[in-house]
Amino acid sequence: MPKVMVTLKLDPEQASLAEVRRLLGLGEGEIDPSFGVVNISPSEHLYTILVDEATAARVQGADQVEGVYGNPRVEPFGPSEG
Amino acid sequence: MRVLVQFRSPPQTAAATLRGEVLPPFAAATAEPIAGLVIDPAFLPVQVPTPQAAQAGANPYNYSPAVTFSTAPEQATYLLRGTVPDDPDAQRAAIAEATARPEVVGVFSDPVISTCLVCPGSPPVGADADVAGLLGVKALADAGMDGFRVPVAVVDTGINLVHLQGRGRDPVLSARRSWRPAGVATRPGQHPVGHGTMCAYDVGIAAPKAILLDYALLLSETPGETAMSGLLSDAVLAYSRLLGLISAQPAGRRRLVVNNSWGMFSPVWDFPVGHPGNYSDNPAHPFNVIVASLEAAGADILFAAGNCGRDCPDGRCEFGTGMPICGANSHPSVLSVAGIDTRKRRVGYSSQGPGRLAPAKPDLSAYTHFRGSGVYPADGGTSAACPVAAGVVAAVRERYPAAALSPAELRALLCKTAEDLGGTGFDHDFGWGAIDGTALAAALAGVKRSGRRRGAARARRR
Repeated sequence: MPKVMVTLKLDPEQASLAEVRRLLGLGEGEIDPSFGVVNISPSEHLYTILVDEATAARVQGADQVEGVYGNPRVEPFGPSEG
Repeated sequence: MRVLVQFRSPPQTAAATLRGEVLPPFAAATAEPIAGLVIDPAFLPVQVPTPQAAQAGANPYNYSPAVTFSTAPEQATYLLRGTVPDDPDAQRAAIAEATARPEVVGVFSDPVISTCLVCPGSPPVGADADVAGLLGVKALADAGMDGFRVPVAVVDTGINLVHLQGRGRDPVLSARRSWRPAGVATRPGQHPVGHGTMCAYDVGIAAPKAILLDYALLLSETPGETAMSGLLSDAVLAYSRLLGLISAQPAGRRRLVVNNSWGMFSPVWDFPVGHPGNYSDNPAHPFNVIVASLEAAGADILFAAGNCGRDCPDGRCEFGTGMPICGANSHPSVLSVAGIDTRKRRVGYSSQGPGRLAPAKPDLSAYTHFRGSGVYPADGGTSAACPVAAGVVAAVRERYPAAALSPAELRALLCKTAEDLGGTGFDHDFGWGAIDGTALAAALAGVKRSGRRRGAARARRR
């Protein structure tokens, strides 16, 4: 299942996989561990996690969730043959 | 050789062309065939109006002062298309016979015409030495700006140092400060030769002394349809590393240039516009947020405008008539770089604005489609234009850290000193014009620097 990014507003001390799982009521493995909890805006205390779409649908109403966002593919803009 | 033959028109022929009728075969229009002249039967005769000078004795083909044109039957001529032999003697004979005929006005060349646009697959225009001259690299270097020790993150497919050294470069790369996605087997500086190596080479045109940071985002093992691609979540991870890097630099000496010669070719890969999860038009998307954060921390972020220009877009483009400069490539906190060749003509594939996140995109143009890195026949795409500009930014950062000149101020100065191309002022083809290191160096002479003196820093190294 494709994964999506979920943006969370957290206090810095909450920004760990274990704590985010607890806050959102998620089980082990429901948040991509290799992605982790990524700080995208230190000034706004915004973080993002990577989950599958079904999990995102379950958590999107949580207090900490700011939004659910797509994860599109990107490619180099190099030389091509048209 | 292709030729156009102009014939005097019999009155009935003139009347027929005016009525739009198909004319009788050429053979019926002249007494006998002209040896060596082969008429193209598929080319319908075209009536040519006859210029008439306003003053008696004046040459009507001067067209000045203004002439009038007549299509009266007794003055009408028409054109047919044909060929004459390539052999010089036979060609001379055919043309001589044709022009000797009373019904023939003249035999003219019919040259091949084509657009002048540089498109995907076009041969290179100039070389990296030309780019260096156009950029004003010497003026920057004379002002003490060659990117010495400025970190430039090439967020791409990875860099191959051996290839760069083989091209006569002597780049410095910091493996410690580089990054690669999980699962990538090759190490920073040792990745396969490809797009990222081209970008690293092109940074070095203006910033040969920069420190390269190898961010091999597009080698991600995350599933995708092509080998060289990644997901935006990989870019979020990469940028979080860069945010950590710059945040660890002393506030008064922050320098980090981030080159991004990538983006989306198709809106199909994204949630639709208006969907809360959309990326292309949504400043709240986490990648667009972290781009803003990194710039606010003092990084100069450059994105290629893209290769979906209306004239000859890359075959992968699926924007149709939609605006192709989207997502972070159109972010207000980045420099969006369009592509021009070394003759300062917009390459036909360079994406045109407006941008989706910020309308006034691209910001400026830099050089592309030149012989350079040797990775491809031409260092091309807006992919090459972007690191060419990034090198200029890195050169400036050697003397002017973010504390002296914020990323926003530097972007404004780059745009202000750009050489205006296209329409007057900003336009959606060229942005503010061609990046101009000479004008930039002159403008910077009045900007107060901070940080160590370059000479002192270099002297300590020796």
